[in-house]
Amino acid sequence: MSQIDIVIDNMTFTAEKGSLLIDLLIKHDLKVPYFCYHEALGADGNCRMCMVEIEGQKRPQIACDTLIKEEMVVRTKGENIDGVRRDILELELINHPIDCPVCDQAGECKLQDFYMDYGLYESNIKQSDKVHHRKHIDLGSSVILDQERCVLCARCTRFTSDITKTHELGIIGRGDHACVSTMPGKKLDNPYAMNIVDLCPVGALTSKDFRFQQRVWFLTSSPSICHGCAKGCNIFIDHNREKYKDETIYRFRPRENQQVNGFFICDEGRLSYKKLQDNRQLDMILNGKSCEEAEALEAYRNLLEAGSGKIVILADANLYTEELEMIQIYAQKLGATLSSPMVSDLDDAFADEWLKSSQRASNAKAIEKLGIMTDLPDEKIALLINFNHPNTVSIDAERVISFRTNQQKEPADLILPLAVFSESSGTLTNEDGIEQYCPKVITRNDPAPTVIEWMIRCQEEVE
Amino acid sequence: MSFEFTKENLEKIEALKSRYPSPKALSLPCLWMAQYQERYISLEAIETIGDLIDLPPMEIYRVATFYTMFNLEPVGKYHIQLCKTLSCALCGKAEMLNHLKNRLGLSPGESSSDGAFTLTQVECLGSCGTAPVMQINDQYYENLTPEKIDIILDSLEEGS
Ligand code: SF4
Ligand code: SF4
Ligand code: FES
Ligand code: FES
Repeated sequence: MSQIDIVIDNMTFTAEKGSLLIDLLIKHDLKVPYFCYHEALGADGNCRMCMVEIEGQKRPQIACDTLIKEEMVVRTKGENIDGVRRDILELELINHPIDCPVCDQAGECKLQDFYMDYGLYESNIKQSDKVHHRKHIDLGSSVILDQERCVLCARCTRFTSDITKTHELGIIGRGDHACVSTMPGKKLDNPYAMNIVDLCPVGALTSKDFRFQQRVWFLTSSPSICHGCAKGCNIFIDHNREKYKDETIYRFRPRENQQVNGFFICDEGRLSYKKLQDNRQLDMILNGKSCEEAEALEAYRNLLEAGSGKIVILADANLYTEELEMIQIYAQKLGATLSSPMVSDLDDAFADEWLKSSQRASNAKAIEKLGIMTDLPDEKIALLINFNHPNTVSIDAERVISFRTNQQKEPADLILPLAVFSESSGTLTNEDGIEQYCPKVITRNDPAPTVIEWMIRCQEEVE
Repeated sequence: MSFEFTKENLEKIEALKSRYPSPKALSLPCLWMAQYQERYISLEAIETIGDLIDLPPMEIYRVATFYTMFNLEPVGKYHIQLCKTLSCALCGKAEMLNHLKNRLGLSPGESSSDGAFTLTQVECLGSCGTAPVMQINDQYYENLTPEKIDIILDSLEEGS
C-alpha cells in the first residue's frame, strides 16, 4: 500500500492509503471522542461518538469506519462537529444513572471526560423518567456488571466473541431494554475475563477485586513486568501510599506491547499483585526467633565458616538477570555450586496457546543463558544458601540459609527477608528471548533488602 | 428437559441450508420452527439450534431476545396479543383490554392456570385501518367490540 498525505485540522499527515482514519487520529494524539472503537477489537461503528467532518461530504462521518483516501481534508474541531458530539452524547446519557459519586469508574470514565469536553448541556430529562436496569450483577470471573451504566459499545461482548472466542456475553433485547448479559444461568468464565473491565469505557464493568478499594485519582501508575510466567506481559502497577500507611499496590493493569502481550494480560497475572503484599517475610529469623541485623549477619558468617564441605546455592528463576549474575560471582568466590532446579516451574494446567506459558518462572531464559545448572548435585550438602527458590524442603543439608520474599515453612537456620520484584529493579528475558527492563516501583517504609544489597552486606562480612 | 426438532423440521432445515452460503443464516427460520413446535423457545432449543447451524448459543439468544414475537417463556394454547399502539388505543383498546381481563381473569403477561390462554399487549400489528385489533396465534381479529371478543372466546373455549 502506498503512503499518502492528508490534511487534518490544517496540518498535513502521512498515512497508509486505505488505513483507518481513527488510527491516525489516535497515533497523533488528535483528540476525538470514542467508545466502541478499540485497536484490538477493530471498528464496530455503533457509538457514533467519533464523528469528524470530511470536506466534500454532506454529513459528518465516523472516523472509526473511514478509510484514508487521497486528498482527504478532515476537521476534528469546530462548532458544528462539537454540536454533533454534544447531541450524540446527550442520547448516550439519556438513561444513564447519576452514579458518579458512588461509581468506581469515576476519574477514568469516558462518559465523564466527554461530557466535560463536549457536553456541558442542561439535561432535558427528569431523573424519574430514566429507564432502569439491573445493578451489581456478579457475572463471574470477578467481574461486576451494572447494566444501567452501560453505553452498549459492545467492547466486552466483542472481546468474548472475537478474542477469547468463549461467547459468554451478548447484548440482548433492543431499544431501551437492550443490555449486556450472559445466557440465563451461565457465568462469564474464561482466564482472560477481567480484561473487559479495562475495555469498558464506563463504569458498567468493574473488578470485584479492585472496586471500592481506592479512588483512581489517588493512584500512581508505574510500568512493570508481570512475573506470573515466562511470557513477561507488560503491566502497570497502580499504587498509592495513604497517610501513615505503607505504599500499597491496588491493581495490575495491562500495558500495551505488541511484541509481547498486545493489549491484554491473564486474570491470574492480574491478581498476582497480592503475592507482593500478602504473607511477606519481613523479619530476620535465627533458629526460629526474630533477631536484629547485626546478629543475623554474624550468624551468616558463622554458618559459612562452620566446617568445610559442599556449599550449594539455589537461585529462584524469577530473580533479575543482574541479581543472578551477582549470585553467580558470589558462588564462584565461595567455591559453591549454583543451581536453579526447574522442577516446580512447569505448569501445563496453566498454559494455553495465547499468553499463558507453562514455564512459570519469569526469568528461566536467563538461567539458561547464564549457564546455571538446573539440577542438584547428589553429593552431601553441608551448607545450602537459598535465594528465594521455592523448593528447599526436599533438600537435605546440614545448615540452611534462606533469603525469602514470602513466609514459607522450611527447616532453615537463618531466614533473611528479601525484596519482591516491585521493590527491586533489573532485567528479565522472556520465553521468546525478549529482554525487558523492570524498574523499581515500590518503596516500603521499612524496606526488605534486594539480592544486590544483601550481597554487598554479606560480602563485607566475609571479607 | 431437552429439545429435539421433529423429523419434518429437520428436513426443512436441511432444505433451507442449500439456499444460503452459510448455515449461520438460518437462526430466524430455526427459531420459528422451534416456537411452532413447542409454543415457546426454551434454552434447550437455543442450544440445539446453535449446534445445528454452527453458532454459539449466545448469538441465537441475542436474536431471540431482539424480536418480541419470539416467546422465551411458555405461553397458553391461545396466545392473545392485543395491539396497544396509537390507532388501536384511540379506537377503544382500553375497553377491549378491560373486557379481556375480566373475562379471562388475567392481567397482561399472565397465563390461565389450565394453560389455555395467555394475554399480552403488543405494538402495532400493522392493521390500523381495522383498529382495535388482536392476534390470537396466527389469526387476526379486527374491528373488535366486547361482544365480538365474547363470540371469539366462546368458540375457542368450545374448541378446546
Ligand atoms: S460510568 Fe462514568 S459517568 Fe457513569 S456513573 Fe460511572 S463514573 Fe459516572
Ligand atoms: S458493559 Fe461496558 S464494554 Fe460492555 S457494552 Fe457496556 S459499556 Fe461497552
Ligand atoms: S468509535 Fe466510531 S462509532 Fe464508536
Ligand atoms: S395501532 Fe393497532 S394495528 Fe396499528
